[in-house]
Amino acid sequence: MIELIANSTDNILNNHTIKLLDEEQQQINDWLDLVAKQQDKRAFSQLFTFFAPRIRSHGLKKFRQEAQAMELVQETMMLVWRKACQFNADKGKASTWIYTIMRNYSFDMLRKVQSNKEDLISEDLWPMLDVEEDTDEQDHLQSRHLLSYINTLPTLQKQVVEGIYIEDKTQQELADELSVPVGTIKSRLRLAMIKLRDMMEDKS
Amino acid sequence: MIKFHPNKKMLTAFSAGELPLSLSIAVSAHIELCEECAQQAQQVEESLSHDTWHDESLENADFGDMLQSIMTTSFEPLETVVRAPHARVHIAGRDYQLPTAFRQYQDLKWSGFGAISRARIVNDEKNVRASLLHIGEGGRIPEHKHKGYELTLLLDGSFTDESGTYEKGDFILLDGDKSHSPYTEKGCLCYAVQDAPLHFMSGVSKVLNPLGNLIY
Repeated sequence: MIELIANSTDNILNNHTIKLLDEEQQQINDWLDLVAKQQDKRAFSQLFTFFAPRIRSHGLKKFRQEAQAMELVQETMMLVWRKACQFNADKGKASTWIYTIMRNYSFDMLRKVQSNKEDLISEDLWPMLDVEEDTDEQDHLQSRHLLSYINTLPTLQKQVVEGIYIEDKTQQELADELSVPVGTIKSRLRLAMIKLRDMMEDKS
Repeated sequence: MIKFHPNKKMLTAFSAGELPLSLSIAVSAHIELCEECAQQAQQVEESLSHDTWHDESLENADFGDMLQSIMTTSFEPLETVVRAPHARVHIAGRDYQLPTAFRQYQDLKWSGFGAISRARIVNDEKNVRASLLHIGEGGRIPEHKHKGYELTLLLDGSFTDESGTYEKGDFILLDGDKSHSPYTEKGCLCYAVQDAPLHFMSGVSKVLNPLGNLIY
């Protein structure tokens, strides 16, 4: 009986801890939401008060220099201010989103320090995959162009391109079908590809 | 079906932004091809974020007018994010679509040796070399091992070595002890990261040196 009571107190304590964290997370989400919707300066100040010292402390561990830690604070908070409306609460916590912004900026910073490269590659390493996709249309457009270009190829080259890329045949199968050596298929394909590439490049 | 994945330690180092670029590209590309690891990476990010924001060793600092200067800076609204165009590569008569991590590497210079073509991706990390490797139909890399590690991310096609057959998305990390001789029947495109040259096992290694230099 005594054990049971002890257990139940533990649970309450645990629940209490979890609940506290959730409130904190909710608060951060709400602040970010206000910044996103109405560029609320009071909410942003709250975010700044919570995150700035934490980012600085993280930056000091990473770069071991005050100036760079401060740059990390400045740039991360600036991005939070500017990008707030890109945050999607369905995809996760606001605090995690802010963490990824800091992580990305510090990756690019470290690369600049170590390799003197300013390629800002973090956006490609951690792409935002859940945003609107309008490249599909681009792809369709490109396929349509490509199909019309294929039609302008000399018949022998067109045959090979269609056989391999549209009908999914192997080079050997095509060679057998057309009674020519595989080498001929390869060279026709190569010529066709050079032509297609030139046509695509002219277009873009 | 992807069978080989980065381990938790590597996934965590990646999510913390602590892996060098060469390996970060590999993990990022794998995550784009592997739903399972994408989910795991998201969880790792959450726990890293939690740990970072709840670090106890916090000291106060004077941020001067940083807050005011941020809020008074005028800026272009960044509301819509347009997904970046895909990375593409054209090699050996074929067109491949690559994961986003390769987007900046468009103007690749390919060099070839037999069925093997290579384009350098990362070359600024001490001994580490990272490249795209294309192996044509029926191509084989002679049995070799590495003094350091060899990471191969299979981007397209498939290949087989002494340990099995690998498919698109497989993330294969070998350390210095193992030797292998990968073979591809229908051709494949890989991203390879090595921190030491290949060491060929056969007696005619001199003949193979150009190949070793090309691949590393």
